[in-house]
Amino acid sequence: MAHDDLQDEYKKRRARALAMGGEAKLERRRNAGVLNVRERIDYLLDAGTFIESGLFATSLYPGDKDKTPADGKITGYGRIDGREAAIVANDFTVKGASSAGTNMKKISHMQRTSKERGIPMVYLGESSGARIPDNMGAIGMGTLLGGNASQYARLRECPWASAILGMSYGSATWYGCMADFNVMRKGSIMAVSSERLVSMAIGEKVDPEELGGWRLHSDVTGLIDMAVDTDEEAIDAIKSFLSYMPSHNEEMPPLKAVPNGSDDSARDVASLVPESRTQVYDMRKVIRAVVDKDSYFELKPRFGRTAVTALARIDGQVVGIVGNNPLSKAGAMDAMACDKITSFMVLCDSYNIPLAFFVDNPGFVIGLEAERQKAPGKIINFMNALQLVTVPKLTIMLRKNYGQAYINMAGGQNAADVAAWLTAEVSFMDPTFAVNVVHGSEGTRLEESDPERFKREFETFQKDNSVWDLAATYAVQQIIPPEETRTWLIRMLDVHRNRRTGGLGQHRLHNWPTSY
Amino acid sequence: MAREEVESEVTGTVWKIETKVGDKVAEGDVLMIIESMKMEIPVLATEDGTIAEFQVEEKEPVAEGQTVVVLET
Repeated sequence: MAHDDLQDEYKKRRARALAMGGEAKLERRRNAGVLNVRERIDYLLDAGTFIESGLFATSLYPGDKDKTPADGKITGYGRIDGREAAIVANDFTVKGASSAGTNMKKISHMQRTSKERGIPMVYLGESSGARIPDNMGAIGMGTLLGGNASQYARLRECPWASAILGMSYGSATWYGCMADFNVMRKGSIMAVSSERLVSMAIGEKVDPEELGGWRLHSDVTGLIDMAVDTDEEAIDAIKSFLSYMPSHNEEMPPLKAVPNGSDDSARDVASLVPESRTQVYDMRKVIRAVVDKDSYFELKPRFGRTAVTALARIDGQVVGIVGNNPLSKAGAMDAMACDKITSFMVLCDSYNIPLAFFVDNPGFVIGLEAERQKAPGKIINFMNALQLVTVPKLTIMLRKNYGQAYINMAGGQNAADVAAWLTAEVSFMDPTFAVNVVHGSEGTRLEESDPERFKREFETFQKDNSVWDLAATYAVQQIIPPEETRTWLIRMLDVHRNRRTGGLGQHRLHNWPTSY
Repeated sequence: MAREEVESEVTGTVWKIETKVGDKVAEGDVLMIIESMKMEIPVLATEDGTIAEFQVEEKEPVAEGQTVVVLET
């Protein structure tokens, strides 16, 4: 064939592949205000940096060759804020981006490059599950599925970020759940199977939002880290998340310049905490005031709300913040808060991000429901993870700190250094309850039966809980006024740098399960 | 318009209701305050919306998970 003819053939095939699943389907998406897969990739990557891997790949199933541009999953390399990443982006307009022979090879190829070369994986998910009929029957199953022994072996060598951007069953759901960060566009569904299949199987109409909508996953399951309104916001969230991450676990996260004015709000931080010990406040405001301006990036804000987990920068350095949030249940941690904190510590320890704990809690939630939710297992799982962490841990006690929660929130030797505000109070139990346990009798409360005695005993117990006694035992190393919290953290992050390894930790949590 | 049921996160007693039916609220706004564990625990709006209904009154006991306010969202 002449060169010109070859060129024509190339252009024709290329145009066909780039046309995705055809104009009619693309128009439906446009009308719904949803980006198509190639627009999503353009929005994600630095302009002109996408090098596609497998543009001319197609299904090999008889009769499908011409109907499966890129076999429904677009893969390749591109730069995000100047750094290389490996991309898997599902094209729902081609057979619902279902998983089949060729596109499974494409995914493995991206994962291999990510792991071997140390670059993050990004998944833009929207998929209908395994392709039928390709995967049907014993031959389909035996040929296509189960052929990759490392596909789901998550060892956190490189950060994985995922967005759920539509109906997601099978593949997109699995990778979303395995990712270090999973953002969902509202209106998307993430579930094992579609509502259609579920409705058929159980003979009852199922509401897709209830089956796998954003409220379920942000409030109840915690399987997503964030819910947003548009495709663009979801992709922006992935870019923001990756800005806190190293490209792989053998390097430190990138340093950023400290924005002007970052010290200003830290000076007024005391005003955010009420003087009365019976009043609550929003710990997120305290954290925002202490970290570099505009660097606060909260994960799972609607899940396990008695705790806060956020990536942030302090003096330009990435830090993971774990806080109690008195605004919810007075900050008493429940099973969901334990899960949220544990998974956050796994993230930070895997990617060399120091941890800072902001503590104000009356203990763990107790009661029948707590036990049913496996509270003892969750608390000790949290504790187990905490003690395996090898990045520096720093603790600031703001106010209350009681019982086992004192230990879990990196109290005592569980932190590299501990500072306490003047308002910190520590004991095994809140004095209100302790007075009743020691001096009360079953079925009556001392504050009601003998208020004067209650007051006397309460004051004795409370006095013994003061920050001065804690400092006397050397369980806190510094007592600081609130306005010095930021400068204390900046200094301590420097003192506790892992100099022997250039900052790297040992990643002892790197194979911790992604949900449990 | 969807109905969003806002639940109390804690068992306790309704201490103060400082909002009223028809008020427009944003996600995170305080709808009422429950006294529980000797603390003043706020019930927060779970989404942006308008207060459609209160299902409790001041001084009334509430259980964890009980719907206390309904929002129109």
